[in-house]
This record gives sequence, C-alpha cells and structure tokens, in this order.
Amino acid sequence: MPTVRLREMAEYPEMAQKMLALSKEWFQYDFHQPPAMSRVMAWDPAFGGPHGRAMKRAAMPGEFSRAEKEMVAALVSGVNACAY
Amino acid sequence: MQEDALWYEAAFVVGMTNALNVVADALAPQPGITLVAPVEASHADPKTAALFAEIRTFYASEEVPLPFRLMAHDAAYLAELWQAVQRAFSEQHLTRRVKEALAFAVSVTSRSAFGTAFHLAEMRRLGVSEGGVMEVLGVTQMFSSYTKIADTLQLEPDMHHIAPVDWSPAPGGRSSAP
Repeated sequence: MPTVRLREMAEYPEMAQKMLALSKEWFQYDFHQPPAMSRVMAWDPAFGGPHGRAMKRAAMPGEFSRAEKEMVAALVSGVNACAY
Repeated sequence: MQEDALWYEAAFVVGMTNALNVVADALAPQPGITLVAPVEASHADPKTAALFAEIRTFYASEEVPLPFRLMAHDAAYLAELWQAVQRAFSEQHLTRRVKEALAFAVSVTSRSAFGTAFHLAEMRRLGVSEGGVMEVLGVTQMFSSYTKIADTLQLEPDMHHIAPVDWSPAPGGRSSAP
C-alpha cells in the first residue's frame, strides 16, 4: 500500500492537471486516473517537469526505437526489483 | 513489443548477462590476488581451445572474455554455458544490437564493472554511436530514478492492464487461447 495518499487528478492545480493530461498522450491510453507515478511527479512540477522532460528526451525514438527503450526501462526496473 | 517472445528473449539476456557479470566481477584478478586463475588459450586442452575459438568468432575478438576463461577449468560446463550465452545473445526476435544495449543497461544498473565495459564495447562494435549509447544511458538513469521513487512510496502496479495478452503458444506448441 502506498505510503502517501495518491490524489485524484481533480485535486491538483490547473498547471499540474495539464502535466497529468500529457500522460494519456504519452502512453496512448485513456486512463480513468493518471498512473500513480504521473500523479507523484505532478506533486512538485518544479521537480516532475524537468524529470519528465529528461525521460521523454531519453525515451523518444532515435537510434533505438521507443519500444526498444521501453524494454530497456522494463529491464532496468526488473534489475532494481521494482514491481511498479 | 507486444509478442511475449520478445520478452522471453530479453529475460534470457538479463539472466546470462548477470551470470557472466557475477563471475567476472567477483573473480577478476587483482594485483597480487588471483582467486581463480583464468585459463589461458595457450594452455587450453583441445575441447576448451575449440570453444575459445567459437567464442572469439562470436565476439569478433582476439581475446576470450574473462568469465568464459574463468569457467574453462571444466570444459563440459563451459560448453553448456557457452551454448546458453550464444543462444541468448544471438539474433532472433530481438537484434543482437538491441540485446547488447539491454545487457549494457542491466550491467550499469547492477553496477557491474565487467559487464558495463564489455557490453559498451559490444554495442560500439555493432555500430551503436555515442548518441545511441547516451539514449540507453538516459533511459537507464531515468528509470533508476522512477523505480526508487516508486519503491520509496510503495506504489502498486497500475499499468499492467494496458498491455494486451499474447495468446500464441510456446514455440512448437498448440494454442490454448480462450
């Protein structure tokens, strides 16, 4: 169980809600609520903003495809034994 | 990346990467300390020498990578290990270039000095540029952050349902799709 209460999208200020709306676009999936990690990162847009942009820059298609990079991410998560 | 075959292959790459890394990192000879002496090609028996030749060909290298030389005191074991490694890293559903990138990310994440250097060299040998290396490092770094944030807050998985299920059978088997 999370150690914090994850706020629903409506509980975030407008600017953060815009950030959260981007997760739908990024994952190309219509979430009922944005993923937990997106809501965590939107808690502090001054942190989550640049962190998310760095992630998107790293994950965008380049020499490796977006799908290949998602696989790298999944394996890194697995090695870190992160269930999320 | 919807086919399970891709993920089975990736998992085998992770497994063999870790298998090679643990031995190489733990037993790499240090100045004045050699816990297990790597078998030198010049002293290898014929069976081991033949395996070394296959390994050198696979990696297009004059040198046999350290973990294979460390495990070469038992040629029969080395033969099976090498077959598994070769199978895991051979081009199937995933390209060898992608497999080396995955192995590099895994090695960086598990802080393997041997694996990081070895798979970085393999990526470069297979044509990955510095830009490509930075792409893999960036994803590795960012997800090393996400995972720790998720663990610290004990977030529960909430995205597994967005991936479709692959109902294809195991290779050579029959489907039991509902």
